[in-house]
Amino acid sequence: MSTTQHIKKNDIYNAFHEIWETEEPSDGVLHGLCIAIKDNIVTKKGTTTCGSKMLKGYNSPFNATVVDRLENAGAVLVGKTNCDEFAMGSSTEHCAWGPVKNPWDTNRVPGGSSGGSAVAVAANLCDAALGSDTGGSIRQPAALCGVVGYKPTYGNVSRYGLVAFASSLDQIGTFTHSVEDAAKITQCISGYDELDSTSYPETHPDLCENLKNPIKHLRIGVPSQYIGSNNETAVNDAIQDAIDTYKKLGASIVELELPLTDVGISTYYVLAPAEASSNLARYDGIRYGHRTDELCSDLFELYSKSRAEGFGDEVKRRIMLGTYVLSSGYYEAYYNNALKIRRLICEEYKTAFESCDVILGPTTPTVAFPLGSTADPVSMYLNDVYTANTNIAGICGISIPCGFSEEHGSRLPIGLHLQCAWHEDAKLLRIAQMFESATTFHTERPGAIA
Amino acid sequence: MNENQPQTELTDDEIRHVAHLARLAITVSEVSKAKKDLTAIFTHISRLSAVDTDGVQPLDHPTELLNHLREDTRSDTLSQQQVLANAPVIKDVYFAVPKVLGESI
Repeated sequence: MSTTQHIKKNDIYNAFHEIWETEEPSDGVLHGLCIAIKDNIVTKKGTTTCGSKMLKGYNSPFNATVVDRLENAGAVLVGKTNCDEFAMGSSTEHCAWGPVKNPWDTNRVPGGSSGGSAVAVAANLCDAALGSDTGGSIRQPAALCGVVGYKPTYGNVSRYGLVAFASSLDQIGTFTHSVEDAAKITQCISGYDELDSTSYPETHPDLCENLKNPIKHLRIGVPSQYIGSNNETAVNDAIQDAIDTYKKLGASIVELELPLTDVGISTYYVLAPAEASSNLARYDGIRYGHRTDELCSDLFELYSKSRAEGFGDEVKRRIMLGTYVLSSGYYEAYYNNALKIRRLICEEYKTAFESCDVILGPTTPTVAFPLGSTADPVSMYLNDVYTANTNIAGICGISIPCGFSEEHGSRLPIGLHLQCAWHEDAKLLRIAQMFESATTFHTERPGAIA
Repeated sequence: MNENQPQTELTDDEIRHVAHLARLAITVSEVSKAKKDLTAIFTHISRLSAVDTDGVQPLDHPTELLNHLREDTRSDTLSQQQVLANAPVIKDVYFAVPKVLGESI
C-alpha cells in the first residue's frame, strides 16, 4: 500500500486536511522519510488554509523555507494537517474543517494547536510532521498524543512561509517518534535564512553529532511551581519517576523557584493577541482570502463583513483582545506592562540556568481532556501554563513521552517537558535522548493500525 | 480611566468600539458573548498589575537582534499573475474594491 493510501485508509481522526499523492524523493539525509506539514505552513502544492474559512482554497505561490529544505533533504511530503484556526487553541477543536480526535481515545482532544500533526505521527500515519509552537502548540499536543514534540530556540528555524500568528513567539518545530528523528529533521530545516529577518545569524550547532553521548554531571532544575496540586496525580507521579530515572543516570537535582510561572499565561494572553491583531489585519477580503458576497457600499463594510464571516469565534476573540490591549489608554497598562514582565521572565530563566543545565517538569497539568469539555476560554488557556514562558523568553523546549495515566478509563500519555537556555538545543536533545534511551514509553502506540 | 489600573469589566460600547477598530462586524448577541468572554479573560490577566515592574525596560522580542540588511540588488519577485491568482475579485489586472473616495472610516 502506498503512503497516500495508508493515510487515506487510516485517518479516522481528521488529522489531515489534505492528503497528497507522493512524489519520488531526491537523495539526502531524510531520503524517503514521510513528513506531514501543519496547515499554517505554506506549500506550493495543495492549499494552505490555517484551519480557517478565511483561507479556504488559498494556494500559495511560494514554499516556506522549511518545505524547500525538507524536499532538498529527500523527505516525502504527504499532506497538510489540521490545526486550530490560525494556530489559536489548545485542543484542535477550533478548526473550520472539524475537530481532530486523539488516537488513544477518540472521545478526547489531541491537544493543539498542532493537533493534526501530533495525531499523524502518534497514529503512525507518517514518520514525522512539522508544527508551530507559539505558547505550547507543539509540545502540548505531543504530550497528549504520546510523541516527541520539539520547539527549537526562537530564530533557529526560519519562519518564512509560516503564516504569522504572534511573530515574536512563533517557532516551527517537529513531531517525531524519537529524539533522534527530531534532531535529524531539525538539523535539515534550521540555519540562517535571509528571508526571515529574525533568523539567528550565527553558526547553528550540530544537533546529531553527540546526540547519544550522555552528559556527565548533569544538573536538573525542578521548579517547585511545576509540581503539585495543579497537576493530576498520575502526572505528578510520572514526573517523579522521570526524576528518579535521571538520578539513576547520575544526574543531580537542583531545587528551583520560578515564581513567574504563574503569570506566564496572563502575559502570553496580552502579548500573543496583541501581535495577532496586527498580523491578522492583512485579511481584508481584497488581495486573498474570504470576501463577503454581500454588496458593500464602502471599504469599511467590505472589511468588517468579510472578516466577520471568515474568522471563527476564537480568532475573533483574540483579535478583539489584542486590539483592546493595544488601544489608546490601555497600551501602557496592558501591553507595555506585559513586555516588562517578559524581561523579568527572561531574567528568571537566566538566573535559573546559572545553577542547572535543564529545567524539568510536566508538559501539561492534565492528560488529554474530553472533546467539548472546555467551553470557557480561560480554562482552555491554562493548558499552556508550563509551556508559554518558553516562548515568551524564546528558549528551547521539548516534550517526550514519560508515562501513562489510567485514571480516566483509557490509557492516556503523559509528557515530560525539558527546557534549556537560548541556543543550547544540542544539549537539550542529548538530555532528552538520555531519558529515551533508558525508557520505552516512546515505543508504545495507540490501538491497532492497519 | 486611570491608565495604571486595568479594568476587568467591559461595557457594550467598549466591545462595539474594539470590534470597529478591529474591522469586525458584530451582532447584538455577539456583543454580549464577547463581553462575557473578554471580561473573564481580563479578570485573569489583571494579576499582571500585581507584578512589580518599576524600572524594568520592556522587552519586545526575545532575540534583541539588530536589523539585518541585505545587499541592495535586484532579485526575483512574484509575477502579477501570481499575485492576483488568490484575489476573490479582480478587474483586468487590478484588485476590485468598492468605492474609496468619499467614504468615512
